[in-house]
Amino acid sequence: MNRQRGGRINVGWMAFVLSVVVFAALVAVLAWKPRGQAQGTEPIVLYCAAGIRVPVEAVAKRYEQEFGVKIQLEYGGSQTLLAQAELSRKGDLYLPADDSYVAMARKKQLLDEVVPVARMRPVLAVQKGNPKGIRTLDDVLRAGVRLAMANPDAAAVGKVTREALTKAGRWEAVNKHTTVFKPTVNEVANDVKLGTVDAAFVWDVTVRQYPELQGIELRELEGVAAHISIAVLHNSARPIAGLRFARYLSACDKGLVEFKKAGFEPIEGDGWTERPEMLLLSGAMLRPAIEETIVRFEFREGARVNRVYNGCGILVAQMKAGQRPDAYFSCDTSFMSQVADMFMDIRDISGNSMMIVVPRSNPKQIRTLVDLGRAGLKVGLAHEQQSALGALTRKVLLEAGGGIYEAVRKNLAVESATGDLLVNQLRAGSLDAIIVYVSNTAASKEHLEVVAIELASASATQPMGIGRESKNKQLASRLAQAIRSAESRGRFVSLGFGWKVPAE
Amino acid sequence: MGEPNIPRAMQKPRQVGSDAPFVVGLGIIGSAYVLLIVAMIVADAAFTTPGHLLAALDSPQIRYAIKLSLISSSMTAVLSVWFAVPLGYLMSRSRFFGQGLTIESSAGSGMTTAWWLKGVFLRTLKHLLDAILDIPIVLPPLVMGLSLLILFRTPVGQAIEGVFPVTYAVPSVILAQFSVACAFAVRTMRVTFDQINPRSEQVALTLGCTRSQAFWMVALPEARRGILTAGTLAWARALGEFGPIVVFSGATRMRTEVLPTTVWLELSVGSIEAAVAVSLLMVMAAVLVLIVVRAAGADAGMPGVVQ
Repeated sequence: MNRQRGGRINVGWMAFVLSVVVFAALVAVLAWKPRGQAQGTEPIVLYCAAGIRVPVEAVAKRYEQEFGVKIQLEYGGSQTLLAQAELSRKGDLYLPADDSYVAMARKKQLLDEVVPVARMRPVLAVQKGNPKGIRTLDDVLRAGVRLAMANPDAAAVGKVTREALTKAGRWEAVNKHTTVFKPTVNEVANDVKLGTVDAAFVWDVTVRQYPELQGIELRELEGVAAHISIAVLHNSARPIAGLRFARYLSACDKGLVEFKKAGFEPIEGDGWTERPEMLLLSGAMLRPAIEETIVRFEFREGARVNRVYNGCGILVAQMKAGQRPDAYFSCDTSFMSQVADMFMDIRDISGNSMMIVVPRSNPKQIRTLVDLGRAGLKVGLAHEQQSALGALTRKVLLEAGGGIYEAVRKNLAVESATGDLLVNQLRAGSLDAIIVYVSNTAASKEHLEVVAIELASASATQPMGIGRESKNKQLASRLAQAIRSAESRGRFVSLGFGWKVPAE
Repeated sequence: MGEPNIPRAMQKPRQVGSDAPFVVGLGIIGSAYVLLIVAMIVADAAFTTPGHLLAALDSPQIRYAIKLSLISSSMTAVLSVWFAVPLGYLMSRSRFFGQGLTIESSAGSGMTTAWWLKGVFLRTLKHLLDAILDIPIVLPPLVMGLSLLILFRTPVGQAIEGVFPVTYAVPSVILAQFSVACAFAVRTMRVTFDQINPRSEQVALTLGCTRSQAFWMVALPEARRGILTAGTLAWARALGEFGPIVVFSGATRMRTEVLPTTVWLELSVGSIEAAVAVSLLMVMAAVLVLIVVRAAGADAGMPGVVQ
């Protein structure tokens, strides 16, 4: 040891100080660049299944060019990404390779809107020219043919293939014959490309990405497909911006063009508009139950829902005259069945019971339907042709028998198109009793008294359908989705409606 | 060295002809491994073309990944050394400090039981610390990433995220690399200080140095080659790190994309050629940096220091 103590101190300390300087310099270099480059808003974070990277990357680029909004793409296996999104509670959108993951995420309440995008099919990939002459599943199972599979528990393609082969009764044999299981579809495709295996189950779109591969359609996989949907994450900090990109991605003239180019089979997407508009025809009695849901929907979607509320008979007449709404929410099944051929995806949403309604403290002492036939009463009913309520009222009165229908008709002071109008007229004092839906009375409960009708037929069921000819089917479907949501349910129930949407 | 009374076996073997088969044998066994590595690189090189390499270099994404990889690995290396030196030193000299403590406490009366208990306590503590430091080496990298992700969901993690974003941002890359690489640096520093004879420090103490002075003036300079090794090991480890990064930082192009991420992304679309090209770029960068650093370190090499 030499004794230059001062010098020694400098060596130790100088080395440390130098390392601090180096570290600071590295931080500076790292922090410098983004400031010059990235400006503008926070990017939208999209968890994207690795297998659909090609079209999504192209769409993201287009979107960025068109609107200057950056899309940050996180790639991984569908299942892995879901776990990541769940854990981090970050991110705005989730785009897995198959619907089953959407269902899973839904169950965990991780998702809001779900927008369908495209389909892809499982095929058997072999090297170009098919050197092993594989044509059928039996060929695959021949000795000497090495098979790779994407793990059915990790990757969508493995899952879909397993389901189809199990149905065909061939899964056990294939499972036993498989040389190797890998976590993603691309890894098994790479294996075929490198020649480490002879065949592998992949997506038809995967084969298109690999010029060295060729796809073989197997009889056992006929008609099998994975459905790709993009979903807005419930924890997203920017759901509106996210949903907008989801709309762009699924627009038939924007994102779906790229999907088609990459060999996907796109769904029937809406056309792209900055601010989409749709037309909803709805029974007037449903207005208080759905209005707030629609306002929120408009805000989230950046869309406009033009709604026409009226008696359902009038609405049906309008449609028969040629009006084609994007969605129709009917007061009763009977008014949906008349125009059912114009609509698809028709589902029951709510139910509504009919009541006799009289002024407060019931001055005329009306207790049953029979009382409505008493001489000298002024009764208000809904119009039999114009509204579902009127048609149902007629049915109920006829069913009650004993000439009640005729007696009540004699007391008929006014026929209105909607139940709300009748309630107003009753409150104005011009009527003694009316028959309306329980929901019609919600707004003015304290001024009225309600008498139940003890008949099973005294209720209506409200179904909603999406227009077959609509140019905004996806938008309309999402509106229906919003109306079926738990949040919407609360509004229906608080108004006295029953709820007919089966729990998921 | 080399005095006549030293046994023959301890003399340099090259001086004696009959040692040749032994050396050749070692050489053959050793070169088999070297050959394996070289053969892999050659196979990689044969799989790609200069065109692929140029195309890779031409891509702004890959250029960004190269930049981020080099910078983040270097930061990880510096960070790892900062933490590994004190940890390694403490662990290596724990007996020493333990003695100090015991001497002070037992100065009044000769409490041998207390002395013994203290020894047991210190040893247990050391074993526990050893085990904890093994965790990052033992854990699958993916789990490291997952654990970091979970950590930043806790209130403390959220508080940090409130100040500056970590998850899915650049700091997460460095943190992911650091959490694994530092463990290797600590191991290296521990061995380094273990092999440095504490005598010179003790001499410095008797000459009037404080423990801090002895550390800065004696122990640290003596450990400089060890520090360099620890730093380069951490750097290399960080450069190749992928598992924790893909979970904790995501695989975002132009943002958290490092070279291993690029390789994975390229593989995920089946362009094995591009993946191999990027891998080769990575190997070239790593070899270049390691050679330069080691050469620079060797120039300033000191006698009596661990290899």
